[in-house]
Amino acid sequence: MTEPAEEIQAQETPEQDDRPVDLKKIQSILSSNSGARMRSWLDICARCGLCADSCFFYLANDKDPKLSPAYKVKSTVGEMYKRKGRVDRKFLREAYEVLWGQCTMCRRCSMFCPFGIDMAAMIGVGRAVCTSQGILPAGLAKAVENIRETGNQMAVSQEDWLETCEWMAEEYGEEIAGLTIPVDKKGVKYMFTVNPREPAFYPQDVGMMAQILHVAEESWTVPSTGWDSTNLAMFAANKEMAAYPVKLMYDKALELGVEQILVTECGHAYRSAAFEGPYFLGLPGGKPPLPVKHSVQLFWEYIVRDGRIKIDPEKKVTVPVTVQDPCNQSRSAGLSQMLRELSQALCADFRDMNPNREFNHCCGGGGGFIPMGAEFKKRRMISGKIKAEQIKATGAKIIIVPCHNCFDQITDLNKEYELGLKVVSFKELICESMIIPEKFIPKEEDEEPASQPGDDGGEE
Amino acid sequence: MPTVEYKGKTYEVDEDGFLQDPEKWDKDFAYYVKEEEGISELNEEHWKVINYLQDYYKKNGIAPMVRIMTKVTGFKLKHIYELFPSGPGKGACKMAGLAKPTGCV
Repeated sequence: MTEPAEEIQAQETPEQDDRPVDLKKIQSILSSNSGARMRSWLDICARCGLCADSCFFYLANDKDPKLSPAYKVKSTVGEMYKRKGRVDRKFLREAYEVLWGQCTMCRRCSMFCPFGIDMAAMIGVGRAVCTSQGILPAGLAKAVENIRETGNQMAVSQEDWLETCEWMAEEYGEEIAGLTIPVDKKGVKYMFTVNPREPAFYPQDVGMMAQILHVAEESWTVPSTGWDSTNLAMFAANKEMAAYPVKLMYDKALELGVEQILVTECGHAYRSAAFEGPYFLGLPGGKPPLPVKHSVQLFWEYIVRDGRIKIDPEKKVTVPVTVQDPCNQSRSAGLSQMLRELSQALCADFRDMNPNREFNHCCGGGGGFIPMGAEFKKRRMISGKIKAEQIKATGAKIIIVPCHNCFDQITDLNKEYELGLKVVSFKELICESMIIPEKFIPKEEDEEPASQPGDDGGEE
Repeated sequence: MPTVEYKGKTYEVDEDGFLQDPEKWDKDFAYYVKEEEGISELNEEHWKVINYLQDYYKKNGIAPMVRIMTKVTGFKLKHIYELFPSGPGKGACKMAGLAKPTGCV
């Protein structure tokens, strides 16, 4: 696929606020994105207020009525439709604060709406209108630029990605004999895709995943292209750019002839790869061209269903543990039971949050909040109070968080609210407690000869 | 703009605590982050990483991938975490005065 066309102009500065908006573009977004459905939702909302108490922004900010989901939708997207798209930049700037700064599109409100109105979908339309006029958070704008230029959100080069895989195979192979990270291997079962933060800043995630797949004797590969399954353009509501990384990923999987795409412990990557991606690309039937599996599903199969990986009962976690339900796994993808069964397989004292599963609260870092940048940190901490209280009430000392954005948010909350938690991913716990079969235990003598050349003492 | 004060100096930082302008970095800022991070002492190895990050950032305008950092410094990944418990991005880059990386971090 060729590079997609330039579309979004540079991030605007407030001084440019008097530039005219592109009315045609706004109107086309309002009418094309299921416009009829949006209008009927706006019509049937009875202002009953049931959504208000479901929203953690509302709850954490003294029940400010302006933070009730119905109000947030009505004052932004509702106005856009009412004015038939005739809005100015000042209006869009104000809408920006609401659409990105007061909603993580977690969809909890839709669980309580008697009409099942999808508030997140409506917020998404509002974001698309703003983005089309260059009004979007700087962090997302930069990530979209990276996607356009490199096909991944953090501009990691192919060379760096592959070299990181090779390096992790080396370092993590010291603990598991024969460990490799195959690249572009054809016809295997899984093509494993990651979040670019893994090669860039958390390469151990790739190493640990390789250990698990190797111990399970899995047939798998990483791809040399299309390896980023995340989608920050989706949170920028830039549909054209959101299609691009999905296409790279699907194309590569088809080219390699793998059976399934495996997605790392990330929430929105799964949503993009399994559910939204086909719509971004206009695929008939709204289905991906091959099945997409989340890491949590795979771990559940290995440990709970098939016993392909065995957990050492001696190494089971004994301190109290809770698990975060990432919105894009529990509420939007039905994985909540697996999260619990897996947690219980790894931990002796599992404690659920309240509310939980599909009714659990968003961590407060979803919908792009983490990558949106520092501008949003303070409100992220304020509205995260609900999550902090939920976690505190469990008495857990460890929280398992199978999503990168939840992970960063809860790590920040841990500091802010002094929760004294250890924040871990599933793969981390699995690597610490799985039984390594004899054949994968490295032989001692392999390590002996390497002591001379790499020995660097004092550099000064 | 949030600021932090340390040893009588004031530094402008973003809400994540990253230095607003990398040019304003000095050694005291590194000592400030060190205390925030609960690191007992900055040794030669810390400085090796910090100096390298700053050189790379000056040349390229972004933080290096961890792979490049470990290759140049010769430290294993686990050792980087021993030096900077918050990790290469949120620990080392912050201490070196680099801007917060873009994306899911």
